[in-house]
Amino acid sequence: MSVNTESSLKTTNRKIHNLLGLGLALIGILILLIVPTLIPPYYSYLLATIFTTALLATSLNLVLGYGGLLHLHHGVFYGIGAYTVAIILTKTSWPFALAVILGPILSAALAFVIGWFCVRLRGLYFGMLTLALGQLVWAIVYRWNALTNGDNGIHAIPVPDFLTSISSVYYTTLLVLLVSLLILSKITKSPFGLTLLAARDNPVRSESLGINVKQHRLIAFVIAGFFAGVAGVLFVLLERSVAPSLLFWNKSAEILIMCLMGGLTVFLGPTLGAAILVLLSMIVGLYTEYWLLVLGLLLLILVLFLPQGILGYICEKIKGRRQRGGSLDASN
Amino acid sequence: MDIATLSSQLLIGLSRGMIFFIVAAGLTLIFGVLRITNFAHGSLYMLGAFAAYSVSTSLGHGHYGFWLALLVAPIAVMILSLIIERGLLRFIYNRDHLTQMLLTYSLVLITGDAVKIIWGSEYKSINIPEGLRGSISIWGASLPLYNAFLLLIGPLVALGLWLFLSKTHLGKICRATATDREMVDILGINSTRVFALVFALGGWLAGLGGTLIAPTTTVSMGMDANILIYAFLIVVIGGLGNIWGALISSIIIGMGEAIGVLLIPSVSIILPYMIAGILLIFRPSGLLKSVW
Amino acid sequence: MLQIEQLKKSFEGYQAIANANLSVPQGEVVAVIGPNGAGKSTLFNLITGHLTADSGSIRFQKTDITQCTPHQICHHGIGRSFQLINIFTSLTVFENIQTAVLAKHRLERKLFKPAKKLLREETLEVLNSFGLVRYKDHLCSSLSYGDQKVLEIAIALGSKPKLLLLDEPTAGMSPDETSRIVQLIKRLSQDEGLTILLTEHDTDLVFDVAQKIMVLHQGETIAQGLPEDIRSDKSVQKAYLGETEVC
Repeated sequence: MSVNTESSLKTTNRKIHNLLGLGLALIGILILLIVPTLIPPYYSYLLATIFTTALLATSLNLVLGYGGLLHLHHGVFYGIGAYTVAIILTKTSWPFALAVILGPILSAALAFVIGWFCVRLRGLYFGMLTLALGQLVWAIVYRWNALTNGDNGIHAIPVPDFLTSISSVYYTTLLVLLVSLLILSKITKSPFGLTLLAARDNPVRSESLGINVKQHRLIAFVIAGFFAGVAGVLFVLLERSVAPSLLFWNKSAEILIMCLMGGLTVFLGPTLGAAILVLLSMIVGLYTEYWLLVLGLLLLILVLFLPQGILGYICEKIKGRRQRGGSLDASN
Repeated sequence: MDIATLSSQLLIGLSRGMIFFIVAAGLTLIFGVLRITNFAHGSLYMLGAFAAYSVSTSLGHGHYGFWLALLVAPIAVMILSLIIERGLLRFIYNRDHLTQMLLTYSLVLITGDAVKIIWGSEYKSINIPEGLRGSISIWGASLPLYNAFLLLIGPLVALGLWLFLSKTHLGKICRATATDREMVDILGINSTRVFALVFALGGWLAGLGGTLIAPTTTVSMGMDANILIYAFLIVVIGGLGNIWGALISSIIIGMGEAIGVLLIPSVSIILPYMIAGILLIFRPSGLLKSVW
Repeated sequence: MLQIEQLKKSFEGYQAIANANLSVPQGEVVAVIGPNGAGKSTLFNLITGHLTADSGSIRFQKTDITQCTPHQICHHGIGRSFQLINIFTSLTVFENIQTAVLAKHRLERKLFKPAKKLLREETLEVLNSFGLVRYKDHLCSSLSYGDQKVLEIAIALGSKPKLLLLDEPTAGMSPDETSRIVQLIKRLSQDEGLTILLTEHDTDLVFDVAQKIMVLHQGETIAQGLPEDIRSDKSVQKAYLGETEVC
């Protein structure tokens, strides 16, 4: 009896909780919809940058936080998505829509190839192979002058007329971000997501329950690659240029920092991390050229004092318990 | 292309491999004993190069500048490493890989800008010391004398490390810590002191690498990122924590790069990554046994 | 049901399994016993595919599974628990079981359906039969050692195996908790007709629950048969029971 009341109380509580969350989300979205009409275009651009980066970071976290895999070079898929669109739009007369679709698909295909090798390894070796293969892709992009224009990158990429104004880009990135987050959040709550967590916690046990852990991780890797590719497409719409630095290792480290800053354990953590990092780099950039120094100090403080990330910390305080995982074990 | 060109190119590659080895040996030692992925290793290398620049120019590019730098710069880097280990690293030894990596990565970011503030961002260079200019001929292949010097230094460092690890008490403790941490703890050996020592030694090696490379190239920002990725690849290919594995893979990468420059210059920067990728795909746990 | 013939496995020159033979009849509880280092865990890992045998064969219901991977073997109908607790520490108790149930139904790759609503009944049924329902929303790392050990077995049952392997199910347990596990084993065997293969160093427990016993000594099967035959077997007494008191 008492158990029943308790559990029904819990359900009501949870319903209120869910409604509250939904309400907050709707208000947030509403604000984001109105905002561009109220602020100077530069800030719309900044927000669109945040949206793009947030998608990139969230896609990484599917592999990093949920999959527990030390994926050190996610920027490659971002870059390949962006380069695919850039090359198609500048060197072919293929329709815009095709370019936009091919970007993420090529990223996913590359993720499949790289992932196929990486998922056979564990822990640090996994990380190092992502790094090695990722740098290989970077080196190819950097060197393949005829196709990628090498060091110079590709500039003045033509986009359709309806995407030339900053507000249209803003709404496009916002829409794509929301839809992608919705899909990714569904994935994390699906049987696939649950199994991914299980495989992170205990790959050996998962195997003996009939789960093909390597294949499971590969699928997660490909999904993450796909959405990084989507983010890459958004980047091109926003910047209308690409450069090999998109694929260099430093970029990937930045994404890792975003995930850690927001919290690996919470779905929206990387989004928050991305927002903070983009805004901060803008603000700090106004005062000093030493943004990386500031970022380094910030990261130092974060790692030493707030390893669960900002959102992770908040959720821990609210729910009174550690969030699921986010610890990357060597044995994975 | 004749044999002489090829073999002199190979010798140059080999000598570059020696610098890779000196840097990677420090990294792999830290890996093996501390189980920390030290991203700041490239920064220590860069600091070594800049410190060498400062020391040698303070003597007005004189005869003894380089030799003094060779003595002082690695020690300066070693002292800094010791401060880093005692001040930061020892607090995160039982955290996960990602946390440890990002902590050392924060040092990469900080040193990058610190170097810019201290030394400015224009390119610097150190002269090759008087006695090591010019070139010699080895079996018909001509080789800059300085590279020959590197070919000598590399094995010397390897020998020194071997003597240290296998003949000294401390070295034995280091090896034991790498293979079986618990045992060392049970024996009542203060392993954190070993950690400090190893990190300092690793730092010294990175600084030495930076000092040695300085006369052959421009000392500049960004040299940390390049060596770091190489060193990581070398360490992983060789088997984490295995110094001899690092030696072998340094030579492979160094020679591979040299051959690449000769045969297909346009893809030479791809080659090391390609070699690393292929080796890792076929021998995921490294060429030699990892100590993990 | 399970046939193991002339199984061999060595690690870097050390012969862990020299010549193991075992047949597990349907519906029985079979125990593998042997001194420490006899190769019991290795044998289990060979059966479940976590290790691959050098030679010999393992057949399960007439299918050769010697070269299969762990997940394939699970889908053939062999479930296992582990000696050390091997659960999903960041998941709730419910989710721990549900993972097994989902995998059993091959739903683990469903991408867009909320997992919460899938196979609830079946999961709850398993929880119920192990008396774990009241903890269902707890993080499993918050359970007591005994409950975790029960959960450990419950997870294996989540995949509805035809043959259940229990690796030292009572290791590290108090007498109370041990008798709980004994009850559980008897219930699974008698009420649900489950075939069980277990290793255990508690010989009293083994002679209590097992209908057949196989003795492993230095990686070799030196005897298998009914408990009373094993008890009187000379070579067994010499190799194994000789070390302890024989009643």
